[in-house]
Amino acid sequence: MRHLNDDDLVLHYYGEDGPEMVAVERHLQSCAQCMDAYDALTRTLNVVTPPETTPETEGAPDDQSELRQLLRESSRSRSSRAGAGMASWHAEAGAIALVWLVPVLYPLSLLTVYISGEWAHDHIAAAALLVLTVLWACAGPLVAIGILHGIADSFNHASTRLRALGSLMAVISPPLFLLVSRLGPGLWPWYGAVSLAAVVALFPWPETAPSTVRLLFVHRLSALLLGVFVLGHVINQAIAFFSVPSYAAVRSVMRLASQQSVSYGVIVSSVAIQMVTGAAMGMKRVQAGAVVRNLQAVSGWYLAVFLLSHVFSGFLFSPPPGVIRVAAATSGPLNLLASAAATAQLPYYLLGVAAFLFHVGVYARLTALAYLAEASVRRLSYAAVLVATTIVVTIGLSLCGVHLLW
Amino acid sequence: MNDRDVEAFLALIERHRRYMYNLAFRITGNEQDAKDVVQDSLLNAFVHFDRFEGRADLRTWLNRILVNSALDHLRGLRRRPDVHDPRPISDVADTAASASPDPERLVASADCRRLVRAAMEEMSPLERVTFALRHFEGRSIEEIAQTVGIGSNAAKQHIFRAVRKLRLALKSHWSGQ
Repeated sequence: MRHLNDDDLVLHYYGEDGPEMVAVERHLQSCAQCMDAYDALTRTLNVVTPPETTPETEGAPDDQSELRQLLRESSRSRSSRAGAGMASWHAEAGAIALVWLVPVLYPLSLLTVYISGEWAHDHIAAAALLVLTVLWACAGPLVAIGILHGIADSFNHASTRLRALGSLMAVISPPLFLLVSRLGPGLWPWYGAVSLAAVVALFPWPETAPSTVRLLFVHRLSALLLGVFVLGHVINQAIAFFSVPSYAAVRSVMRLASQQSVSYGVIVSSVAIQMVTGAAMGMKRVQAGAVVRNLQAVSGWYLAVFLLSHVFSGFLFSPPPGVIRVAAATSGPLNLLASAAATAQLPYYLLGVAAFLFHVGVYARLTALAYLAEASVRRLSYAAVLVATTIVVTIGLSLCGVHLLW
Repeated sequence: MNDRDVEAFLALIERHRRYMYNLAFRITGNEQDAKDVVQDSLLNAFVHFDRFEGRADLRTWLNRILVNSALDHLRGLRRRPDVHDPRPISDVADTAASASPDPERLVASADCRRLVRAAMEEMSPLERVTFALRHFEGRSIEEIAQTVGIGSNAAKQHIFRAVRKLRLALKSHWSGQ
């Protein structure tokens, strides 16, 4: 057996070396060098004892008067707002109404994006309005994260299920809208889907299996394969802002590569695995107060439906009339604001890129925490958010027909 | 919620308060900070009690809230240099090295505790919390990872770094003997 390093020794000291424990102990008995290192570690850790409490502090927890006062004040401040029960009910109803308004108003937001896009074409001052309307169309995931922040631990109550499913619908509105609009003309397929989701929330949900460890492993493995393909697309889409001919050339190469039967099979299977494992983990990632965890869940939900519509839609549906698919566009500047039908793809792609960057970013942050100090990870996270936002804005500009070189 | 709810809540958490205080004290190493952390946690637990729903063990739930409150508290202290002013380990080590060289005495000495304390204050909030939970509380790394909301590899690395800082801080002692 090789010599043990400091981390091996720490794990052995705490009995956390699992099945290796016997082998490590045997090695320590036979290796004087490692035994000396282990003795030094033991000597250090044995003197680290818990801080001692003083007699007066030991008595402190029994004094409840201050805490009682604080709890009563907190209770009164909540009651004084509108009566405790009513306040809680109002907050719950308000949250549910807000989150369901997102999918209900989503088609309207697309219309405003298109109209403001036309105005911006004529008057540059209207560009601010265009930005606002695009933000509205892309607001679903943000609203969902806010609503999930206060969600209950289990889905026993219909109100919790309405919150959760409303959040899901708010998040996936852009890709789901594109998918269901293929079912027929008008808005009835969309409102039918929204109503169906609301009905599902009213019925109790079955309890799901507790462990997701294996699913997570398979999910990450397939994500690695898919990540290369998606990252290539994201980078190329950003290149479109700087030079349309370069974008078109890179896209031709990528298309040629991805259309080979082996690579296409790998992509489609990876997407399928991502969606199945992601759906199985689904709502389990959601937890009240856990912003980062919820961000990962929300971006995962979006990516699942985005990939479904992007990769599988060719199998399932033919494109609706009037919709120009970005992937199918040949050369020349792209402009998703050119027609009302194409405008639906602007929030769809923008959020797709953002969801991919954030989903990978959250995982990278958790991994980095294992190797770097917390403060360094925080600084890196801020830098990564800045870079990701720049990429999303650059892609947004290129999708709106703004390019540095034609 | 009314006064009766407050009394019911206080009765419910009563047998967990001392445990919570001890845990907070072991993490923060300071009486006032420990009291603040317990108070914040209990207020938080009271306000969000509807989220508990009795699905998990009450102590586990309170424990998770307490650990997160402690993390927030420690992060808050680090953002306030007027409050968070750890004495450099080298200063503490110099003082300690001038004391008795007898190892037995040294182990029990206040100097040694001061060194450990200085090392703990140099740890990041996550290093400090994960180390306290592993070393003082005897929690498994898996359990710590779940409580703090990080991966078990990350929890391990925080503990490794915490141990490295402690070893560095106490090195001067052992070499001085």
